[in-house]
Amino acid sequence: MSALDRTSPPPRGPMRDFDFPAVERRALANGLDLRVARMPRLPVVSLRLFLRAGEDALSDARAGLAVLTADALEGGTRRRSGSELAEAIERIGARLGSSAGWEGTFVDLYCLAERLPEALALLAEAVREPAFPDDEVARVRDRQLAELRQRLMDPGALADDVALTRYFAEGLPYARPADGTVESIGRATRTELAGYADASYRPEGGGLVVAGDVDAAEVAALAEEHLGSWSGSPAAAGGFTVAPASRERRLLVVHRPGSVQSEIRVGHVGVERTTPDFFPLSIASIVLGGSFTSRLNLNLRERHGFTYGVRAHYSFRSRPGPFQVSTAVGNESTAAAVREILHELERFSDGGPTPEEVAAARDFAAGIFGLQLETAGQIASRVMQLVVYGLPESYFHEYRTRLRGVSTEAAAEAARRHVRPAEAQIVVVGDAEAVSGPLEELSAGPVEVRRGQRAD
Amino acid sequence: MSRLSISTQRHRLDNGLRVVLAPDSSVPVVAVNLWYGVGSRNEPAGKTGFAHLFEHMMFQGSEHVPKNGHFELIERVGGSLNGSTWFDRTNYYETVASNDLELALWLEADRMGWLLPAMDQGKLDNQRDVVKNEKRQRYDNQPYGDWSERLQAMMYPEGHPYRHTVIGSMEDLDAASLQDVESFFRIHYIPNNAVLTIAGDVDAASALPLVERYFAEIAPGPEPPPLPGDPEVPPLLGGTVREHVVSEVPLPRLIMAFRVPPFSSDDFAVAEVSRALLGMGRASRLYRRLVRERRIAESVMSYVYPLLSGASMMLVWATGYPETELDALEAAMSEELEALAGAEPSEVDRAIALTETDLLRTLERVAGRADLLSMFELYFDDPDRLNHELDRLRQVTVDQIRVFAAERLGTDNRAVLTYEPKVGGSAEVS
Repeated sequence: MSALDRTSPPPRGPMRDFDFPAVERRALANGLDLRVARMPRLPVVSLRLFLRAGEDALSDARAGLAVLTADALEGGTRRRSGSELAEAIERIGARLGSSAGWEGTFVDLYCLAERLPEALALLAEAVREPAFPDDEVARVRDRQLAELRQRLMDPGALADDVALTRYFAEGLPYARPADGTVESIGRATRTELAGYADASYRPEGGGLVVAGDVDAAEVAALAEEHLGSWSGSPAAAGGFTVAPASRERRLLVVHRPGSVQSEIRVGHVGVERTTPDFFPLSIASIVLGGSFTSRLNLNLRERHGFTYGVRAHYSFRSRPGPFQVSTAVGNESTAAAVREILHELERFSDGGPTPEEVAAARDFAAGIFGLQLETAGQIASRVMQLVVYGLPESYFHEYRTRLRGVSTEAAAEAARRHVRPAEAQIVVVGDAEAVSGPLEELSAGPVEVRRGQRAD
Repeated sequence: MSRLSISTQRHRLDNGLRVVLAPDSSVPVVAVNLWYGVGSRNEPAGKTGFAHLFEHMMFQGSEHVPKNGHFELIERVGGSLNGSTWFDRTNYYETVASNDLELALWLEADRMGWLLPAMDQGKLDNQRDVVKNEKRQRYDNQPYGDWSERLQAMMYPEGHPYRHTVIGSMEDLDAASLQDVESFFRIHYIPNNAVLTIAGDVDAASALPLVERYFAEIAPGPEPPPLPGDPEVPPLLGGTVREHVVSEVPLPRLIMAFRVPPFSSDDFAVAEVSRALLGMGRASRLYRRLVRERRIAESVMSYVYPLLSGASMMLVWATGYPETELDALEAAMSEELEALAGAEPSEVDRAIALTETDLLRTLERVAGRADLLSMFELYFDDPDRLNHELDRLRQVTVDQIRVFAAERLGTDNRAVLTYEPKVGGSAEVS
């Protein structure tokens, strides 16, 4: 017989103090905001360059141009072909990648710290002297087109894309996928890419974040050497104000004959990253659909077995991005799943979370934050958020305290303001023959069934 | 020379549980990681998918832990947790702040020792539905989603432990009973069939007594029975096995697989380096030639499975453009496989440099360390092998690669699976 009492969880030990690493800030004369976090644990370094060359500044006709231009950086420089550039980078064991999103273009580098001087030189060459040779531009354009077509056949991606057009007013950048459209990408030329990079890949307003086993002064000297003579500001972005496509609850079924599952999206316009409600809303959204034990997952997965998983998520951007519940369920459960999602949204918006739920979500969020300070890449991307959204330097040092300070009332108020089931737009990608009848019977709003032209 | 020095300590409890400790106090985080020596290879005919369904049942509570207690209690302290099932093993893991180590040990011990009192038909039915939805979402409703099912059946004969997929079949999932849960647990979920690794902010002096406290009284079981199928197969397929699928996929895709020596073989390193030369990074052969120069493929990939029983597999795949002819794509791929015989030492250096970077990136996370250490302990009784991984690859010579390409990548050892988009595919959008 054991004397050990297993009936309840063991008591917690005292939490070890651990702060966000110190970050040294050194602006370059050309306006590039350099920040360095020293993490001597392993001999590696993660470097992230951010330029204000984002999809949110592009018209529909040029949609996807920032993404395509970032992809085409692998095509080589004025000094090296694409293959030669890849060889030079990988020979020293470095990983270099570039991508673009709504806010801007990111270039990421990861390598052994001792390789940073060579790697940073190559990164600077790739960004400052891209050649965009015709064959490489044609290649990345064809690849992008192929991926866009692939998205149309992937029911989950299709549901995401269609949902955006139901949340955001027509013509707003956020109403389209960040990767552009078959039309806009199909039109892109070498001249356009080169012109875009020349106008938008400029240091002013951008940032360079370096985290790892490095010395700030040495990094600053390297940055000055390779990026110091670079100058200028990105082409000015045309502003826009986010507006919803509709405030009336509507249901759209996109017919996918023979589908064995329905992809469901329920959402509406959310809120911007710099909202004063950020902390209470983060806590509220964990309770609603941001953890395994969220209300939505416990209902749809654990109580009803409708789905492998369901989540609710706010996409926080410089402007209000989407708030969305996503899941995939069997055909026969589709209407019931939509009903349960709406029920949970209504219950949450009206009554808010309980004090116990808020306490659990605070602990969860504060704990996760602490666990995600482990790698150089994690630290670099956190620090980069400060640059991208203009958050104060002390932000992540106070982050946990602010999460822990969220009251039940504040979370309930955030839920009431930012979860609006009466305005929800519902999109179902699935077999309309099987699911649209039961969806009509829900009386959740007008139902439109789209049997549009084929994807290809 | 090796740059890696992850120091470990090994212990074995009286009940046979193997314990690996890897202290590192530079972050206030600890990873608890358990590997059980059971996977889909242990499933007899008619029970495919059961190891994975059972993994789900391990999150449904145990005698002292309520249903979903694992998720609730770990999420409550901000930790992360999950499990996964693979051909040769099943793993369970938690990452928590170091002051919550004991919580993770209590949870893992409770389901290792006291799972069955908490099992009931309702939980089984619920998790069966969840798993069937997982199968629909990740396999049946996905373009190319059936590729592994098809490929495994091409690569391994009837009755072989790797013939069927980890997710299994809907019919077998339907047939699973509470009795199956009980016998599977009694046979495989015993301390002498498991490895427990604790990595991160922990000191060995206090961790080991904690492990003893929670796990020592769990009774060992008899050695699990041998695999239900015969893992031994000829080293080569003995020809080119083909399957052509016309289905609702967006782009033509070629998947080619080869039988290679098992993970435990000394020759496995040659397969690993060969696959890296072919498909690791943008300077790799397939990317340079098929993607960049010839523009016959939109993307390429290469992979080698670390499988233990009989024979493992290496695969390469290439996704074409809408107008790509699959025959031409296969011919181009074959040329590159042949050309691998001319590999240069500088390519091996590049592959190792990239592998080192990727390995360090994995080791930055205590969870990544713990998972690799559990694997090396369970498979090879040698967690220190982690520190010698790169040296093992560095010893591979271009001569070995030449021989490997000739012996293993030729037409007498190929499974070729091709996907052709169905004209008039069914996705509809406006």
